[in-house]
Amino acid sequence: MNAASPIDRIAEAGRHLPPARVPEWSRRRDRALAVLAAHGLPDRRDENWKYLDHARIAEYPFGTEPRASADLAALEARLLPVPGAVRVVLMDGRLDPGLGTATALAGLEVVDLGELIVREPETALALLRTPGEDVDDRYALLAEALSAGGVVIRVAGGRDIGAPVQLVHVATAAEPSVHQARVVVQAGAGARLTLVEQFVALGTAATLGNLAADVALGEGAELTHLRLHQHGPAAAQVETWSVRQAARSRYAQHLLALGGRLLRSNLRLALEGRAAACRLDGLFLADGERQVDLLTQVAHHGECTVTAQDYRGIAGGRGRGALNGRITVHGTARGADASQSSRNLLLTPLAEINARPQLEIHVDDVQCRHGATIGTLDAAQLFYLVSRGIDPAAARAMLTYAFCQDLLGRLPLEPVRAAARSLVAAALPDRELIEGSA
Amino acid sequence: MSDAGLILDVRDLKVRAGERLILDGLSLAVRAGEVHAIMGPNGSGKSTLTGVLAGRPGLDVVSGTATYLGRDLLAMPPEERAREGLFLAFQYPVEIPGVNNVYLLKAALNAQRRHRGLPELDAFEFLGLVKAKLAAMRMDEGLLNRGVNEGFSGGEKKRNEILQMSLLEPTLALLDETDSGLDIDALKVVADGVNALRSPARAMVLVTHYQRLLDHVVPDHVHVLAGGRIVRSGGRELALELERRGYDWLRAGNAAA
Repeated sequence: MNAASPIDRIAEAGRHLPPARVPEWSRRRDRALAVLAAHGLPDRRDENWKYLDHARIAEYPFGTEPRASADLAALEARLLPVPGAVRVVLMDGRLDPGLGTATALAGLEVVDLGELIVREPETALALLRTPGEDVDDRYALLAEALSAGGVVIRVAGGRDIGAPVQLVHVATAAEPSVHQARVVVQAGAGARLTLVEQFVALGTAATLGNLAADVALGEGAELTHLRLHQHGPAAAQVETWSVRQAARSRYAQHLLALGGRLLRSNLRLALEGRAAACRLDGLFLADGERQVDLLTQVAHHGECTVTAQDYRGIAGGRGRGALNGRITVHGTARGADASQSSRNLLLTPLAEINARPQLEIHVDDVQCRHGATIGTLDAAQLFYLVSRGIDPAAARAMLTYAFCQDLLGRLPLEPVRAAARSLVAAALPDRELIEGSA
Repeated sequence: MSDAGLILDVRDLKVRAGERLILDGLSLAVRAGEVHAIMGPNGSGKSTLTGVLAGRPGLDVVSGTATYLGRDLLAMPPEERAREGLFLAFQYPVEIPGVNNVYLLKAALNAQRRHRGLPELDAFEFLGLVKAKLAAMRMDEGLLNRGVNEGFSGGEKKRNEILQMSLLEPTLALLDETDSGLDIDALKVVADGVNALRSPARAMVLVTHYQRLLDHVVPDHVHVLAGGRIVRSGGRELALELERRGYDWLRAGNAAA
């Protein structure tokens, strides 16, 4: 597909960027391009990237601009039902006001990052985190270098806007392409927000989306964040999430990775203030030839900070899954409570899951637990179901679906939970055998 | 001898689990309307017998036959045995979190009905049926919407087995130590459930270590299993004698049996 390497194509695209309006932006882009040129993208020699199929990522045409062409009429049917939601749609990485909700709610600000960069570049730059030079931040650096758009979602301090925000990423290109996007989510002190985020690919082109997202929660703020990935079979997504939490803030993330050819998700979360707490739930399904590769890095800085991480992986066909989960409890985090659980299910002999839970503790007086399991369906449970006359394939489907149940039960918003249950059931092998299952 | 009414006919069955020969030439004939009790000390092969009849994986039939309603039982996959009316009440019912108890019951009943060419029950019909059975088992309706056996007490698990049995109305019920771990009240509820299912068309095999279940479910035949074969058969009084004299009496008197 491409003779040139991704990094050559990225450098080429960098040379053709429109001129930056302010020197600071120009400097940041140049620096990002320079680091990428000097160090390249991560590869399998990098500790946190060794299970990822980098050759598969290199097949996507880095440096191309997507040309939207998909039939947007197909979009509505793909969206989760989120009653009363403020809808925000990013089309190939750019905010599309025509597809979003125009009504403004008091306390909620939705700003087009692409416009803001043109209109008020200083303001825009101040909102965007500068990615580091370390290899785990390299794809964020790519977005820093080439992204021209995205969205800023802000909830003012003390506000509960009373409606969820539905953030939709749509890949529409009919030709193979790579698009970049940046997202900023900020919740002021005491603010509350439910964010239902969804990644959808319309059409069958080999599109790769690279997202760099920065979340900041003020003191006592609460963010509930559902992330549903259901790309088409040719689409890929790489994303780098940075979450920073002030004192007593609460962040609950529910990741459902159900589609796409490849998903690489990096989550870096810092519990900075005292008693900040996060719950990280994740469910991924890597069947067929799909690959899901998750990196989570949680840092406890504040006293009495809390992490509850519960990830479940299912791999079937020749699918591959990976979870690198690191929790670091720093010396300042006395009284921290961290738990991490990774449970994984292999449905076929050629499926593969690598789970690496890691706990790093630099202080006494903490509660930390972690565990990882990788296994097949339980033979005693299977026999029990079959001994009741249930078809073995249906029994396997029931047990696979059962494996997901408690995570699904914790999803926010009843209509979303019900729809997500159906989507998960539909994504599992032998889906027709568990229809009507509740 | 006529085969009329013969439900299960096991002949000279030898079964291995791994390297160990567990059943060593067991024969047993069960007819419609009969209740058989199989008693024996731990390790005599009681659970292997019910397991091999229900199709539990990991058991290898070395030789012998088991015929169920004239068909080769051992050639049938376990789900087909169930749909043909064989039911095993487990000694240790497994917990299956995430599979709703009522969903399992409905899936099991409808699998059987499809197999027999009957229309499936819809949710409304099914719920009406199951609630009536639940009341008879004195079970809390809340147990329906929990995961299968999830967090159930020992007694609740056993009652759940009998609930499934009464819903599936088997032709041949195998109860594997259903009485173990039950207090006297739960034992009576379970026994009532079993007695309610006694019928001229149905047969039951109760496997038990102690005879106290037999105070409530009176068997037509009692067999003693030892060393992988039936060493003595008799009526109700054999169970009482075993209770009085212990299994050692039988081991000593094996040759005379």
